Amino acid sequence: MELKRRSLLAAIGAGTAAAALSGCGTGSTAAGSADGPAEGEITLLTPIYENANGKTLLEKEILGGFRKKYPDVKVNVDYTTYAHLNEKITTGMAGGLLPDVLMMGVGWIPPFAAKKAIAPLPEKFATAHDYEKRVLEPSRYDGKLYALPVVLDTRIVVYRKDHFAEAGIKKTPANWAELRAVAKQLTKDGRIGFDPFSIDLRQCWETFLFANGGQLFSADGKKVLFTDSRGVEALEFFKDLIKDGSANYAKKTDPGAPTNVQTGRASMMMTTSALWEQVREQNPELLKDDTLGAFVLANRKPAMLQGGTLVTQSASSKHPAAARALVEYLATPESILGAAKQRGSVPGLKDLSDSSYVKENKFVDLSLQNMGAACSEGGTAAWMEIREKIKPTLEPAIVGGQSAKDAIAELGRLAEAAIGRM
Amino acid sequence: MATTELHKPGVGHTSRPVAQRKPLTVGRIALYVTLSVISLLMVVPFVWMVLTSLKTPVEIASQDAGLLPEHWDFSNYSEALTAAPFATYARNSFIIATSHTLLNLVFASMAGYALARIRFRGSEVIFYLFIAALMIPTYTKVLPEFLIVRFMPLAGGNDLFGQGGSGWLDTWWALIVPGAVTPFAVFLFRQFYLDLPVELEEAARLDGLGEFRIYARIMTPQVKPALITVTLLTFESSWNNFLWPLLVTRTDSLRVIQVGLSVFKTENGPQWHFLMAGTTLATLPMVILFLIGQRYFVQGFATAGLK
Repeated sequence: MELKRRSLLAAIGAGTAAAALSGCGTGSTAAGSADGPAEGEITLLTPIYENANGKTLLEKEILGGFRKKYPDVKVNVDYTTYAHLNEKITTGMAGGLLPDVLMMGVGWIPPFAAKKAIAPLPEKFATAHDYEKRVLEPSRYDGKLYALPVVLDTRIVVYRKDHFAEAGIKKTPANWAELRAVAKQLTKDGRIGFDPFSIDLRQCWETFLFANGGQLFSADGKKVLFTDSRGVEALEFFKDLIKDGSANYAKKTDPGAPTNVQTGRASMMMTTSALWEQVREQNPELLKDDTLGAFVLANRKPAMLQGGTLVTQSASSKHPAAARALVEYLATPESILGAAKQRGSVPGLKDLSDSSYVKENKFVDLSLQNMGAACSEGGTAAWMEIREKIKPTLEPAIVGGQSAKDAIAELGRLAEAAIGRM
Repeated sequence: MATTELHKPGVGHTSRPVAQRKPLTVGRIALYVTLSVISLLMVVPFVWMVLTSLKTPVEIASQDAGLLPEHWDFSNYSEALTAAPFATYARNSFIIATSHTLLNLVFASMAGYALARIRFRGSEVIFYLFIAALMIPTYTKVLPEFLIVRFMPLAGGNDLFGQGGSGWLDTWWALIVPGAVTPFAVFLFRQFYLDLPVELEEAARLDGLGEFRIYARIMTPQVKPALITVTLLTFESSWNNFLWPLLVTRTDSLRVIQVGLSVFKTENGPQWHFLMAGTTLATLPMVILFLIGQRYFVQGFATAGLK
């Protein structure tokens, strides 16, 4: 239901928004110049800075600093959730009232840049701080910089050191053959060796696709590339694990609930770098006893899916200079570090790799050390439609009898059709 | 037949002693057991919510924790309330739900009365249009309604053609007007008004009452179950509305309780202890409202189902 509802709204919204932005609609507003003084009242739409701590961090600390620097700019914050962010942006576009500054996910830049909903940023922003090259890749479209990263969330494998020691396993798996063998060895007494399913299936499969040397789309975003053998093998690997009994889709846990690695019901799992904060809150003894370790998934190459939140500015802002100033400010090391601490995320700046926060959070530290292996989802203007279809199209291959080849082929057809509609 | 009995006032009171004297049959025991099990299943999530709201995050995460909290952590409630301006959110939800309820009662009952009791050309077509409106999925209406609100002429800085400003966005109008009258309420009222004896209406006309006074003074007091049912359903759906208030508001001062609760749902998972504390508080008005009006509520549904 959730998928149908969101897809429906997104489809209607995309059509209406496209009409509005191409001039057929009546809601487009004239954007001003970004070169003038930063002044005026602007709106920031954000899916992060959640809960009381996040709100205090944003409104008191980060925006407090921004107000000191830009006293003539008033920022109104519009909080939403990631689950409804696309609906907020889409309806805003359709109504011609997009917030001046928007925070959005990795992969979201090409779709909104292609619709000319967001404005390019000066290239000098890309060199203002010490970014890893891959960190800025999701911020670009058509060679131009459209956004700056605020926080990153990586997908890594976390494992139980006590289970490894008990089974006499001395090193972490270096490829899928080793991963499958180790998972099989660790599966016993109702415990599963590997839980790849407690994170979003889309992001999990993408991580395996990248680790297998595959890609989602061509560089211009117009050709589907995941339908080759590498994409099929990635999905087939999940089926192999289930066949071995070392993974079980029915045993996946919900976001926020204690994970199978925390409860000892799994020896390894795919998870995000934010798990460290969850464990610190729910099972601090696991960190105190150094029970958890982490490694980057590898097969043909090591790969770590890089998700996260980027900040960009609306192309139709009436106060573009103020909006640009806020984008720049939200991406400063101080703002980034605050947001990363609050969410347990990865600050995507080399400048911050020696900070006490990074050194204390081993999952974040591992992620920053391996940013060279980071890969991002998206890369096509049709991503907002395709991303909603990945999980429901691949799921039947895992829980039902559909072959991996058929599921990937079906997904390929859907993706090609979506790209064709752009 | 069961519905007919429900309509007879006092039936429950007079038949109860007779029923108590009857010996318990196997079928009746099976019925009680089944109903008890179903009731238990229905109440378990609610109990779990309340108990979880009193646990610490560590206890929620623990595999060894029992159903009851080891340490009853009532501070979850005070901390949840300080996480966001919940008093403002609750006030807003209450204003919107009450406005929707009152407007729906007034306008839907008028429409239902007109469709049921006044003969005019096209009344059947209008009724079928209301039925058709019931079939439209909510989410297909969100964007058109958003655009209507956004381009509302002469509102929020808009000119006569709806240009130049933000229309009703981020105002009470956007929160109240689009959901004020529901086709279901019109349908429900029509069914009730249809059921009233024509003699009642004719006697009122002979006494010289006009159409509006017949509607307001004679007929509407006879459809109390419909009034209670519409009150409960409208208040409940308005109180629980999430997506529409999220889309049409930007400022905290206009946000509602359900949007406020989403502050505890982070991308990395919910803060269960706070979310359950907030949800428990948000559920209370609905529980109280249902306890007050449950008898009429059941009658309302039973009668609507007969038609």
